[in-house]
Amino acid sequence: MRGIERGLTNCPVCHAIVKVPAAESSQTLYCPRCDSEVYLRKPDSIQKTWAFLLASIVFYVPANLLPMMNVVTFAGTQSDTIMSGVLYFVETGAYLIAFVIFTASIFVPILKIAILIYLLVSVQRRSPLHRARRKKLYVLTEIIGRWSMVDVYVVGTMVALVHFGGLTEITPGMGANFFLLVVIMTMLSAMSFDPKLIWDNHIKESNAQQ
Amino acid sequence: MSAHYHICHACDTLSKISTPGRPGRYKCPNCHAKLYTYKPGMVEKIYAYNLAALFLFIVANYFPFLSFHVAGSSSHANFATSIFYLYEDGQWLMAGGILLTTIVIPLFRILLYCILFGSLYHRYLPHYATQMLKLLEALLPWGMLDVLFLGVLVSIVKLVKMGTIIPGTSLWAFMLMILILAAAQSIFDPHQVWERIGDRKRLMREEHA
Repeated sequence: MRGIERGLTNCPVCHAIVKVPAAESSQTLYCPRCDSEVYLRKPDSIQKTWAFLLASIVFYVPANLLPMMNVVTFAGTQSDTIMSGVLYFVETGAYLIAFVIFTASIFVPILKIAILIYLLVSVQRRSPLHRARRKKLYVLTEIIGRWSMVDVYVVGTMVALVHFGGLTEITPGMGANFFLLVVIMTMLSAMSFDPKLIWDNHIKESNAQQ
Repeated sequence: MSAHYHICHACDTLSKISTPGRPGRYKCPNCHAKLYTYKPGMVEKIYAYNLAALFLFIVANYFPFLSFHVAGSSSHANFATSIFYLYEDGQWLMAGGILLTTIVIPLFRILLYCILFGSLYHRYLPHYATQMLKLLEALLPWGMLDVLFLGVLVSIVKLVKMGTIIPGTSLWAFMLMILILAAAQSIFDPHQVWERIGDRKRLMREEHA
């Protein structure tokens, strides 16, 4: 038994069960316990998720092309993008660090974006396949979303520590700003998605068959 | 009445919980998403953990965080040093982002926890408990101290070849604070508090009628 069939939903904030009037009225419903807005499905969930997702894809390009940080020494300035940072560690033989940085800064953001595209397309096509697995993927995106911020903090910490008054300095690059925006946009995108949508058509179809 | 029924946030399955008062983790029968956790003694523990975290937060922000020595010259960083340098370099977006996610939001959440659960510990449900709980839940993903910790570790690994890194008092306090906050978050069960808020609201409504 699902909530939508009984006209019941839960408050997104306090989890109280709320009865939704049968007639699809345009009137907004509020939780009797905590006064938050209550709905059967998040309003405009798919549009909002797409919008934030597209923004994150757009920001992802300059985040990778522009330097994350600049190493300023008396010998000159050296700019590091995400990829050149990874390659530096591969060349020097520090494969473990290269792997960690590659996972956190390149693999995870692409994975998040790919999962969200897959979820959106499958929900829009009303796909009945792999529902449980798709829900797990959604939970995964929600959990790993914030960990991509690690890159921004690495730049921040390096800037704070390597600061030898003009001799040797690390300064932040524009790429880090865009990377921050990518992380924020993918987080907002994942928050806008309503996982209940994954399971929705399933019930309608099985009812129709009976 | 509604306490014994739950709707899953992930798949919309309506499930009945026959033993709502028994301690444990309750999961959705369809998709196994977490419905809620019931642990007795939650209020006392969360109050205690967050008081400790508040103390450690002050220590972490006051004492030196890391020092870096290369060929005779050295630089020292506090917890917030990166924010100042980023701001000076004109990177206000990053400075603001780091300030919010590692100082403002975590501190605000710790204070909210202390006020709300401190009151509950003294058997008093604060007037603005609803708003406090809402803020605590909404800000949860945006407090990123644990992510910052990983960032600091990666930076240390990156820099360790170039010179000597000396950890300061603040780093130890910071590590302890993350452990304590994780422990507090793992037993946090807003469900019990919402129930009390709901009871109070019902009483107030009955008094009005």
